[in-house]
Amino acid sequence: MLEAQNIPAEIREGIQKLAGTTRVVDELCLMRTRAGLTQAQIAERIGCTQSRISKLEGSVDRDLSLGEIFDYVKATGSQVSIGIGKPLTHVQSVKAHAAGIRRHLTSLADLAKKHDELEPEIQSFFGEAFFNLLNILSECQGAMERDRGETEFEVFSQRDESGTAPLAVAI
Amino acid sequence: MEKRYAKKRPAELTAVLRNLLRYLDLLNAAPNSKAVQAGFLHREPAGVIAVDQKGGGANLAETRLYTLADDSAKVLHLIVIGDKGSQANDIQISREFAQQVKEISQQNENKEERPAPQRAAVQKRDSDAGSPKHPGRNP
Repeated sequence: MLEAQNIPAEIREGIQKLAGTTRVVDELCLMRTRAGLTQAQIAERIGCTQSRISKLEGSVDRDLSLGEIFDYVKATGSQVSIGIGKPLTHVQSVKAHAAGIRRHLTSLADLAKKHDELEPEIQSFFGEAFFNLLNILSECQGAMERDRGETEFEVFSQRDESGTAPLAVAI
Repeated sequence: MEKRYAKKRPAELTAVLRNLLRYLDLLNAAPNSKAVQAGFLHREPAGVIAVDQKGGGANLAETRLYTLADDSAKVLHLIVIGDKGSQANDIQISREFAQQVKEISQQNENKEERPAPQRAAVQKRDSDAGSPKHPGRNP
């Protein structure tokens, strides 16, 4: 939008910089707005004053406390997820998500075991999830394949005299 | 106006535009424009909302961008930007602008209520109506 309005690049950069300081605050405000709540209603649910909510929404992320975030999010009927630890590789992330998927599917299976009336719906969801997971894997695998018409793999030997050097693969 | 601000008050313009984008996000999340509430927004007469520079840093001059949200058309009109010195004048301009938008909307609604044979002519006039104009103060 700003590019279309011919806003100078340095102003646009400044806007990006400011936006980086209030990502959590902005998300909280959006959460409240989506929930159709006013600042006064949130304040009432938390048990504080409207001016405190106004101050929180006018602050930057670094000034927020975890307690404030939890109270605010709970009052909007949402939940907070916080991840702490070293950055995960893609493979580690996939494994972590897979463990989460397994946990939730096991819970659903337990539910179906206890409540017969839920079983057909859960069975149907399992089928849907199975298809979707396979579809994701298939799409990603497809994206990995190279156009063999343009680039060929070529395997050649680079063994030295002793014959101990490994094979090298050229693309 | 916008060019003058970009040159003479870049920090204020940056902060106001940042808040304008936040306002747009909130408008898109809210059921209607009246449901949007934020510390950097000020309700002015005739449904005009002023976006200020809060959050842009210390020692910024009080700056306000006057806007008018049209819920039915999903359009946010940017009317005028100014500081404390021009505040009274800016509010007056905004009020007149809002009044003109209201009149045009009412005219269009009245025309649409006419019987079917006249509709073609009415629609042509609708497209001629355009937006209300303001002498040289649009941002």
